[in-house]
Amino acid sequence: MTEKIPLDTNINTTAEVVTQTLTPSILPNRKEHLRRWLVQAGALFALLLLSLYLSFATPHFLTSSNIANVARQTAVTAILAVGQTMVILSSGIDLSVAAIAGLSASISAVLMTSQLNIFGLTIGPFPFAAGVLVALIVGCLAGCINGLIITKGRIPDFIATLGMLGTYRGIALLVTGGLPVPSHLTATELKGYLPETLIWLGAGDIFGFPVPGLIALAIVALGWFLLRYTVFGRSIYAVGGNREAARISGISVNRTKILVYTFSGLMAAIAGLVLTGRLNSANALMGEGEELRSIAATVIGGTNLFGGEGSVLGTLIGAMIMGVLGNGLNLLNVSAFWQRVIQGLVIILVVILDQWRRRRFGS
Amino acid sequence: MQLPLCFQSMVDTPLSEVDERNMTRTQQLLLSMEKIDKRFPGVHALNQVDFDLYQGEVHILLGENGAGKSTLMKILSGSLPRDSGRIFIGNHEMQEISQMTPEYAQTLGIGMVYQELSLVPTLSVAENIFLGRLPRTKFGLVDWKKIHEGAKHSLNTLGINIDTRTITGTLSVAEQQLTEIARVLEKQPRILVLDEPTSALSDTERSRLFEIIRRLRSKGVGIIYISHRLAEVPLIGDRVTVLRDGQKIGTLPVSEVNEEKLAQMVVGRKLTEQYPKHGGEKGNVLLRVENLSVPGKLQNISFELFEGEIFGVFGLMGAGQSELARALFGLEPLSCGQIYVNDRIVNVRNSEEAIRVGIGLIPRDRREGLVPMLPIPPNITLGQISQYSPIRFLNLRKERQIAQQYVKDLRIQPPLLDRPVLYLSGGNQQKVVLARWLYGDTKVLILDDPTRGIDVGAKAEVFSIMDDLSKKGAGILFISSEMQELLAMADRIMVLRRGKMANIFQRGEVDQEDLLKYAS
Repeated sequence: MTEKIPLDTNINTTAEVVTQTLTPSILPNRKEHLRRWLVQAGALFALLLLSLYLSFATPHFLTSSNIANVARQTAVTAILAVGQTMVILSSGIDLSVAAIAGLSASISAVLMTSQLNIFGLTIGPFPFAAGVLVALIVGCLAGCINGLIITKGRIPDFIATLGMLGTYRGIALLVTGGLPVPSHLTATELKGYLPETLIWLGAGDIFGFPVPGLIALAIVALGWFLLRYTVFGRSIYAVGGNREAARISGISVNRTKILVYTFSGLMAAIAGLVLTGRLNSANALMGEGEELRSIAATVIGGTNLFGGEGSVLGTLIGAMIMGVLGNGLNLLNVSAFWQRVIQGLVIILVVILDQWRRRRFGS
Repeated sequence: MQLPLCFQSMVDTPLSEVDERNMTRTQQLLLSMEKIDKRFPGVHALNQVDFDLYQGEVHILLGENGAGKSTLMKILSGSLPRDSGRIFIGNHEMQEISQMTPEYAQTLGIGMVYQELSLVPTLSVAENIFLGRLPRTKFGLVDWKKIHEGAKHSLNTLGINIDTRTITGTLSVAEQQLTEIARVLEKQPRILVLDEPTSALSDTERSRLFEIIRRLRSKGVGIIYISHRLAEVPLIGDRVTVLRDGQKIGTLPVSEVNEEKLAQMVVGRKLTEQYPKHGGEKGNVLLRVENLSVPGKLQNISFELFEGEIFGVFGLMGAGQSELARALFGLEPLSCGQIYVNDRIVNVRNSEEAIRVGIGLIPRDRREGLVPMLPIPPNITLGQISQYSPIRFLNLRKERQIAQQYVKDLRIQPPLLDRPVLYLSGGNQQKVVLARWLYGDTKVLILDDPTRGIDVGAKAEVFSIMDDLSKKGAGILFISSEMQELLAMADRIMVLRRGKMANIFQRGEVDQEDLLKYAS
């Protein structure tokens, strides 16, 4: 029996020996590569086609200010979609992402803009760093609660996160009193305005690159790394690909699911902060519809809606398609009501295409 | 749906009114399948197979697991499309492949009793028997009286006494199997396919089933009887067709064959090659199980497994052997009992802890062992990485090298490391699961029917890996439904009967009949 070696030991010296002794017949399967590449390239192709059409259809599309605008709009969807991709890969679904974004942003915005009196203790206004930390903790907690309800309560992911969607929105409404933060009411009390740094996060730029876009790219890179190079990422694919096999291989399905939902909550908190910065205001109902857009981005990007297959790079392209589509419809003066109809139908269409592709190419 | 002409008359005529004389004399051809070909990813399941069936005969389809028997019958019943080949039912050719659907097959009078039960466990016995064609009253409501009377009648014809109101899931496996048979017979099929119907039945139940088969045969029903038990052939068959690795080896009248000849046709090689057993040096006690009980499944199981030993476990379907495997691996909660590994008491509450103390499991259902969309390397290392913290990094290059080594050592074909394992054949998939535990340095390996549904060549390779492992000092708990395998490979065999230990035999002390006797 071979000696047991931990996976992360570095064995450069023996590596050459092993590759030399192996038969050269072990080649990667080209057809399989091609198939996977086509899945992702299909989305990329659609993005290019859409962009090409829009740049002819309207003179406003291919301008640097509009592209920066698209990047800002896409960033929130992309950040949420990275968390959503992880959840869907583990064969779950998170409908509460936008609600968690609203909740964490609302709580932290309230803390950053007003002074609270709790049990005689005067708190706040929080500085930027503390506010961000609170938002991230709230996001993680909310996600973790989702995970616990699903695993310990043995409730389907869909129902659990749908229920928590309402719950988190409700708590956010309680926290803000249904008003935007800062509003003319809270602003008069004290300080009143969100920290400059937060606004920079949502609206600023570095050498002309919009900050939210850069944050989204960094998060996509993080998601890609986690999925490909960590035990956590591998467990996600295993649990989503075959729950029973993962269990029999000793992988704790519950722990993996709880971690995945916590991660998704964390992403939601970051998205909430970026959105707050961009709007210069937080409110309990912010980001409505983003849960659907994040699912759409994930599925358009080639992730199997039933788990086990997919990557965040595809999701990034999916998010960009959703962003460009929304932007294009705006530029073409399509009414906001019709935009909702179209975006909803796009999701259905993509899933139909996805199912057809899987049946056709036998996966 | 338009029925082929020859069949309309037959469907219209009730069984009892068919002229018996006419049937036995002319021996009308009921079914003829010509050059049926079927490929699955990675395996040629049926290679140009011919098969036919006459009225009033029992045609036995014999072959090992994975020989293609079930695939052939699934093509006949329309639940699988054929790749090529012709099917004639009566004298009517089923030209369109898409024409063969399960519904149409039923209309044609093809009745299937599958190995895997297709009953709805939450419905009553009567509802299951009439599922999909519940009789109605004149008001269009379900006619419950008729259903229960009808169900009772068809069960009584089979000589079974079950309350038709019983929820099917609460019946024993044997009773469920008989219910399934009753359901199919209720439709009065012309062609009846029985897929290993005796695997869960006791001797008396089996002889009753044979009686029913003989009666149906005398009424002119053509019966295809699938089995891998050679001893059943002379008891019930008229003709026998042997399949091996998707190929037809031959069709012979039962009167012209004996068990020895059949065995040779089925296995296709000498048994010594098929079962490489050199034996390991028996060492210390590796695993000790004391009074292990699983509520409703296992009672007071105690045994010891030594280093270098292959410990066989035999039982009829549902005797608790799978539960034993799962309980030892932490997948089934124990009501009482202790498990010791290397004389130290271990508490395996989940598979993660089982792996930590050096236990590995090859599950009964291969689909439970592998993540189908992932390629070979992650599937091999999955058992090990479960022992690491979630934030630990993977060394993909190292993982690939490990996989390459096992692909080479175990001759996993095709050796493509980027291809999802779902494209591998059953035998090669099983080798990937084996590689996981070889890599994990497993001390106690539990194999739950590891050769189920894999071809003969791969079986021999699996046995050879088992033998190798035992020589290196691992202890192997080998659960199997194939008595031959157990007799050839195991050093000792424990027989389970309804969740209790019936006996433990030494190697060479028993034969198949003894095993069956103690098991039923």
